[in-house]
Amino acid sequence: MTIPGDAEQKIEIYLGSLRARLRSMNDESARDIVEELRSHILDKAAASGEVTASGVDAVLAQLGSPIELASEYLTDDLMMRAEVSRSPVRILEGLFRWSSLSLAGFAVLLLSLTGYFLGVSLMLTAVLKLFHPQTAGLWVIPSGPDDVQISLRMGFGGVPPDGHDVLGWWIVPVGQVLGCGLIVLTTRFALWCVKQYRRAHLFPRG
Amino acid sequence: MDILDAQESGDKWEVQLRKGCIELAILAALWNEKLYGLEILRRLESDSDLIVSEGTVYPLLSRLKALGLVRSEWVESDAGHPRKYYALTPAGKQRALQMSRTWVRFSSSMDKLLAPLGKGK
Repeated sequence: MTIPGDAEQKIEIYLGSLRARLRSMNDESARDIVEELRSHILDKAAASGEVTASGVDAVLAQLGSPIELASEYLTDDLMMRAEVSRSPVRILEGLFRWSSLSLAGFAVLLLSLTGYFLGVSLMLTAVLKLFHPQTAGLWVIPSGPDDVQISLRMGFGGVPPDGHDVLGWWIVPVGQVLGCGLIVLTTRFALWCVKQYRRAHLFPRG
Repeated sequence: MDILDAQESGDKWEVQLRKGCIELAILAALWNEKLYGLEILRRLESDSDLIVSEGTVYPLLSRLKALGLVRSEWVESDAGHPRKYYALTPAGKQRALQMSRTWVRFSSSMDKLLAPLGKGK
């Protein structure tokens, strides 16, 4: 099959733009996607006989913009990597993407960030208690006549006036166990949500 | 709700219904043979009333592959470029059977419910 230069140039510009937007995917997957679409464009453009620049234009218009097409593939890729790797970093990467698409994604991201933040804070406080025994811990601090403030303090700064270190040295085991548990629970929750998302979005979005 | 709203919500319902059927339609198209993307699109158009846009079907095939429901292989063609063929995996066959049973059960019960509407035409 002979492809005129102008038609080939249009195909290359479209696929180049798509490839550039798929750069965060692994090379093999991105190459696979680009080659499949090249094959589709050539087949479709040749369906009416000769491949022409206007025929290629029509096929590219039916495929939609490379930005939207890349976005479909990227979201799927990020969510799949999140589910397979189970790493909090990958999960958050996928959730950030999801949160840009829907309110549900934003809610899941917010809950997960809170869970991870609390988990990491508890574990850090437990470790820092060893270095700041007087100030690190879970403190209850009076902040008004009938009001108290509960604060997880890393130990930087002085002892809060009238404050009470609730757990004392117990923060070391309790912080480690609770913090670790919270991170595991948050990861499980986020993975469950990612799995639901992938099943729910198997059919086309929109 | 005025007549225009009712018409619009009916259209949206039909779009959602069609979208929900695409997965089953693709798995069914691949039941007997392996096909490449454009052949799947043509099969859906000719054997069903589903018109799926090209920018939709390729990411969808990629999702089905990631879920292990289809596998793919590149095959050289007479056209001068290779084509990516898709085939059902055992999990895909199982899923297609399960979905088709649900579809038949659901549509026959809906047929019973809708029978009076047909008589009223």
